[in-house]
Amino acid sequence: MIETPMIIKARLSPREILDKYTYVIRMTWIQTLEYKANIVVGMFAILSGVIIEYLLWKRIFITRGISEIGGFTFQALIIYIFFCLVVGQLKSSWVTSIEMIDGIREGELNKYLIRPISYFVYHLMLFIGHNSLYYLVYFFLITGMAVFFPEWVFPGWTHGVMFLITLAISVYLSYAMYFLMVCFAFWFGEVRALVIAYNLANLVLTGQMVPMQLFPEGLRNFLHFTPLPYLVDVPVSIATGRMPVEMWVSAIVMGMFWSVIITLAGMILYSRGIKRYEGFGG
Amino acid sequence: MRVSVGRYLKLLAAFFSNSLTRDMEFKANFFGLLFVDFIYYGSYLLFFTIIFSYVDSLLEFTKPDVMVFLVITFLMDTVYMFAFAGNLGKLNRMIVHGDLDFVLLKPVNSQFFISFRYFNSYAVVSVVILSVLLWTTCVNTGREIQFLNVLIFLISFGLGLGIFFSVDFIIASLAFWFKNFNVGGWLSHEILKFSYRPDTIYAGLLRKTLFSIVPMALVSSVPARMLLYPPNFDYFLIQLVVSVLFLTLARNVWVKGLRLYDSASS
Repeated sequence: MIETPMIIKARLSPREILDKYTYVIRMTWIQTLEYKANIVVGMFAILSGVIIEYLLWKRIFITRGISEIGGFTFQALIIYIFFCLVVGQLKSSWVTSIEMIDGIREGELNKYLIRPISYFVYHLMLFIGHNSLYYLVYFFLITGMAVFFPEWVFPGWTHGVMFLITLAISVYLSYAMYFLMVCFAFWFGEVRALVIAYNLANLVLTGQMVPMQLFPEGLRNFLHFTPLPYLVDVPVSIATGRMPVEMWVSAIVMGMFWSVIITLAGMILYSRGIKRYEGFGG
Repeated sequence: MRVSVGRYLKLLAAFFSNSLTRDMEFKANFFGLLFVDFIYYGSYLLFFTIIFSYVDSLLEFTKPDVMVFLVITFLMDTVYMFAFAGNLGKLNRMIVHGDLDFVLLKPVNSQFFISFRYFNSYAVVSVVILSVLLWTTCVNTGREIQFLNVLIFLISFGLGLGIFFSVDFIIASLAFWFKNFNVGGWLSHEILKFSYRPDTIYAGLLRKTLFSIVPMALVSSVPARMLLYPPNFDYFLIQLVVSVLFLTLARNVWVKGLRLYDSASS
């Protein structure tokens, strides 16, 4: 049973493999378009998030009678939080990871084992496909911001390019981390709690509610040894011109390094877990 | 009437007993959900710790006051998780798949059944821990909290819970109109986000809105005020009126929604 898909896979050219996975994105994209309410709620989430943080920080700035906190002016802080909310939404996944956990627990994984398709890549494409509507809408939102308020974001065109590169790394890294957690389902069956806990902790620890630069020094130093800064803080710091140009390369290299490490860890867990997998669900 | 109340109380006890049995079958999940709760509390505590490293107070809410407010928010959320969250999240799916038929056929008030059928029993542990934490944080404020404060706080907490439930219920019931409203839970969460901050940060029109049409300031902030400060009966009266209005609205939305329901299963 396992041999057949491997033979078929070997016959496919790189172009065909690319077409295969692009088709997955296209199919998911069509499904996503059916649920336009998602984007309305997504926009509301960002708008309400910005309003709440705006009011909270405005109160702090007024109470202390200051014009700057931790190197952020009030305006810079709100722009930063806005970008964090956008990037945070683009890199998050509730749907794909929960589907993957259910798939392992209920035996749905079987269909990937007998087909010439990679479980990892297939779900990466689903992950991108599910979020594709957000990519499109937020692209226009961010472009509009850059056009109408050029002094607020993207000080130069290179910032825009580097933002897109680091955003791509963030999306991939985020997916790889979800994949790693999902693989624990081979041992524990139900790991939704782990994914939910990760998503909740992420809201604060990646800087989506308070910029990482404002964290206590000990926590900030600790987080620099984790992949978390590459999820939200790095792309947003580049977009808002807060990260010096000379740090860009090291940030990208470290982001890619973490992507490789997490992917490898996920692959190892998957290859061990699949040996335990019994394929009948329950 | 008395017989009816007794019957519904017996049903509640049976629902809880059944839920506890189900939850105990998946012990890892039981502890996993407790773990999620603590991550959630930890995240918000970290957030406000960072905020209060830059400021001493948010108007009349000092740091110890905000800690009390936070624990009340967690307690509200946990009680809600315990009693309602396991039920309303299923409503959209029941409407889409036509499974609501089985609820409507039962000789019991359908809104009651939909709202209380499943309890998240793990939340009992969190409620106990948070109650102790609330006591500790109240002591830390150094304020004199009278028996009257506690009494009015308990009533205010119940009213806040009623508002929380009504808003979530109304949003979940929109599935009757939209046929598939799977973003209802997300939308509720985004609206309820306004209740996770002390009401002192809101001003002007938004403040008026959050005390009336979208009454999120009445969910946790007002109970916190009732506990910490001398009882303000204006706030209490507003909360009472708004919660009665929203519970009535939730009932009307349910009744109207049921008229639109045409069962999807076939």
